[in-house]
Amino acid sequence: MTQAALEFDRVSYTYPGGQQALRAVSLRVAPGERLGVLGPNGGGKSTLLKIALGLLTPDEGEVRVWGMSPHQARREGVVGYLAQRMEAALDFPLSARQVVEVGASRRLAPWRSPPRAMRERVDRSIELVGATSYADRPVGRLSGGQLQRVLIARAVACEPKILALDEPTVGVDAEGQRRFGELLTTLNRELNLTILLVSHDIRGVAAGCDRVACLSRTLHFHDAPEGLTPQVLAEVFSHEVGAAFGGEVHVDAHHAHECPGGHTHDAPGAARREEGGERAHD
Amino acid sequence: MRTIEYLLGPDAPMFLPGVLAGLAIALLCAPLSVLVVLKRMAFIGQGVSHAAFGGVGLAVLLGLAATQSFALIALFCVGSAWGIALASGRRALRADTVIGIFLVGAMALGALLVALRSQLVPGGATPPGWEQILFGSILEVGKADAALAWVMAGATLAALWWWRRPMLFWAFDETSAEAYGVRTGAMRFLLLTLLALAVVTAMKLAGVVLATALLVLPGATALRLSARLWPALGLSLLAALLGVMGGLVMSYELDLPPGACIVMTQVALFVGACVVGALRSNSKTEQPRTEKRA
Repeated sequence: MTQAALEFDRVSYTYPGGQQALRAVSLRVAPGERLGVLGPNGGGKSTLLKIALGLLTPDEGEVRVWGMSPHQARREGVVGYLAQRMEAALDFPLSARQVVEVGASRRLAPWRSPPRAMRERVDRSIELVGATSYADRPVGRLSGGQLQRVLIARAVACEPKILALDEPTVGVDAEGQRRFGELLTTLNRELNLTILLVSHDIRGVAAGCDRVACLSRTLHFHDAPEGLTPQVLAEVFSHEVGAAFGGEVHVDAHHAHECPGGHTHDAPGAARREEGGERAHD
Repeated sequence: MRTIEYLLGPDAPMFLPGVLAGLAIALLCAPLSVLVVLKRMAFIGQGVSHAAFGGVGLAVLLGLAATQSFALIALFCVGSAWGIALASGRRALRADTVIGIFLVGAMALGALLVALRSQLVPGGATPPGWEQILFGSILEVGKADAALAWVMAGATLAALWWWRRPMLFWAFDETSAEAYGVRTGAMRFLLLTLLALAVVTAMKLAGVVLATALLVLPGATALRLSARLWPALGLSLLAALLGVMGGLVMSYELDLPPGACIVMTQVALFVGACVVGALRSNSKTEQPRTEKRA
């Protein structure tokens, strides 16, 4: 079996206040795969992402990011990240290009000026996300969609192996989601990037993902999007409904391991893209 | 003109150190103030500078002169900066609450220690010079202070240059910076330490209360005029230099306290920048309308 890009093995996490966010979640993401994590608000999606990024440490279980611990992977810059809420200082006097440059050069020795290869990588990242026409515009004058593309360019310019996106299509209309899906497909194809996309919106996940993991504290489903049935969705989102009515929600924890396709199976598309990606790098 | 008289006449050795210290303080505060404004840390500057009251109070209690107590004050300011960083970093308390607590706590401590001194040493005079720390005095700035200001300016600029890349990433997008492996906690500590040291350095000239103005106004003025990083830093330096020098000239000519004069000059520059910024944005909005009509 090839090394997984990301592997969760029976990971549990409970917040300091006692609220359990994840319970025995196991999943495996193959290199070059695009995994969409779908689930209700408060279902543990962002927690899963933060654990993968090494920002939270699980109570139980093990996480490997390209064979490394998440903390090590973070230090090595393995994962590029697009946060859920735009918390960047938009009045900051930086152009879109400078934002990408700041990300790409963050670990460059202070006495070194950015090498030519890095400058070219910045240009290519901007081009890849389609931000060339507004690259020299101050970030404060970009629209939400343009800024998102610039931040993805920043992530790409950091040369990550995995791109993690937290609710990137919140508030985006259907056309915007389609274009965003196309962008992810381009990044995946051109750079062989493994993509981990977290969303509570099924359209946001379905746009350009090879597999979908349904998460509501436990993993309910982990397979190709075609396998998503109304029953699975009802089960996942009943958590939210149940919580809203203060009712006791019963979820079969074993279902995660019985789901079609199982978490140890690689998506057929992922293996294909891995080969294609190697060609692209050549 | 009194200014020329003071700076070129026989009393020049008394006034020149103040001018030299002012130049160093402008150089020191200009880049920091851009970061302070962008990271919305002006209130932190207030908290850190007011922590000096605690140091002043302790110095008074120990009977130390102002010149001897600067290290003690610096220790209080840096300690408060770290305390604020630690307490607000845990997210159990909001940053402004933490700063408010440090601010009033340090002022109250200072007042208590000064009162304790007068009880312990009945009729004992307050050690000379501590008022200058609170309100600033150009005449009290000696050669050693000027040299210290230049050392501090050099050290601050060197630190900012050395950590400029992770610092910029952190300042622009703290949440993501952490995910990208930037040591965000270390960046916060670094900036707060530099702020504390800048406050202590500027204190002798401008006083505790007004020192933080130098860490806010030049950056705020520059950012009204430019949305580009390097021009904004350049404008901030220009505003700081004009503010300090203009304030000193005003102080010499009108025989007024230098701290207040420097701050008022800075405020005037800020108001001017606001007017220019507003006129420019008006002309930008007018232009497309005209084009459309044409």
